[in-house]
Amino acid sequence: MKITKQAKREAKQLYRLCVVKGLLDENRVRQVVPRVVATGGRDCPSILAHFLRLVKLDCAEHTATIESATPLPADLQTVVQTELTHRYGPGLTTVFAQRPELIGGMRIQVGCDVYDGSVRAGLEALAKSF
Amino acid sequence: MNALTLLAVVQGDGQVAQIARTFGVDWPHLVAQIISFSIVCAVLHKFAYKRILAMLELRREQIRQGIANAEKIKTELDKTETQRQEVMAQAHTQGAKFIEEARAAAARVQQEETNKSIAAAEQIMAKAREAAAQDHDRMLAELKREVGKLVVQATTTVTGKILTAEDQRRLAEETSKLIMA
Repeated sequence: MKITKQAKREAKQLYRLCVVKGLLDENRVRQVVPRVVATGGRDCPSILAHFLRLVKLDCAEHTATIESATPLPADLQTVVQTELTHRYGPGLTTVFAQRPELIGGMRIQVGCDVYDGSVRAGLEALAKSF
Repeated sequence: MNALTLLAVVQGDGQVAQIARTFGVDWPHLVAQIISFSIVCAVLHKFAYKRILAMLELRREQIRQGIANAEKIKTELDKTETQRQEVMAQAHTQGAKFIEEARAAAARVQQEETNKSIAAAEQIMAKAREAAAQDHDRMLAELKREVGKLVVQATTTVTGKILTAEDQRRLAEETSKLIMA
């Protein structure tokens, strides 16, 4: 699907309408989408496609995926959440996951930022150094 | 002239006339024959004999010139032979000189070619040494890579089994410190 500049501009305006105090308001998103569908314009699919992309990007930027080889203790999870909030601000959604292939350590991804202290990453770096 | 004298003597002497008659001498005919013979002699002398003599003289002169020319030619031939000998000797000397120079040039060229061959051989040897060194480095790097892979595989296999809960916690804490770094 080809998204025109006009559709991108309108999708961006809709996205701005959904942002409240720097955070994406889920309720507004739920209200905006049916209204756009109701208008039935010719650019409706492309506007919604770009709007979806922007929402996904926002979600990714405000979601922290924390992977560890073994389940993290509760106190350590709290510490990590606190530090992430301090670093990226409030409204950050944290998702904890267990990945035994990391062998040891932890891997945190927030949007494009990755903090990889896993043993797997260390071994891969070591393998690349040879 | 002698005939006229004889005629005068005969006229003056009767016996002579008688003898002449006895022998059948007809004086007018004799005189006419003498005159005609004289004329013929004069004509021959003037138109034949002189020309023949001149021709003979010319031939004689030509023969003399021919002999002189032959002498001259012989002299020239001797001179030319001497010059030829000199030229031959000179040519022989120059030929020997050229041969010596050619030998020297050939020796020089041979030496140059030998030097070039030695240089080329040294260059080939240097390239071969360089290629061998590169191969050695490449093989060493490959060996290092393979050993590294084996080390990583071994570490991957072993590490998960030997990491304790404390180790896992310590590693997680180290990662959390990266966030604030």
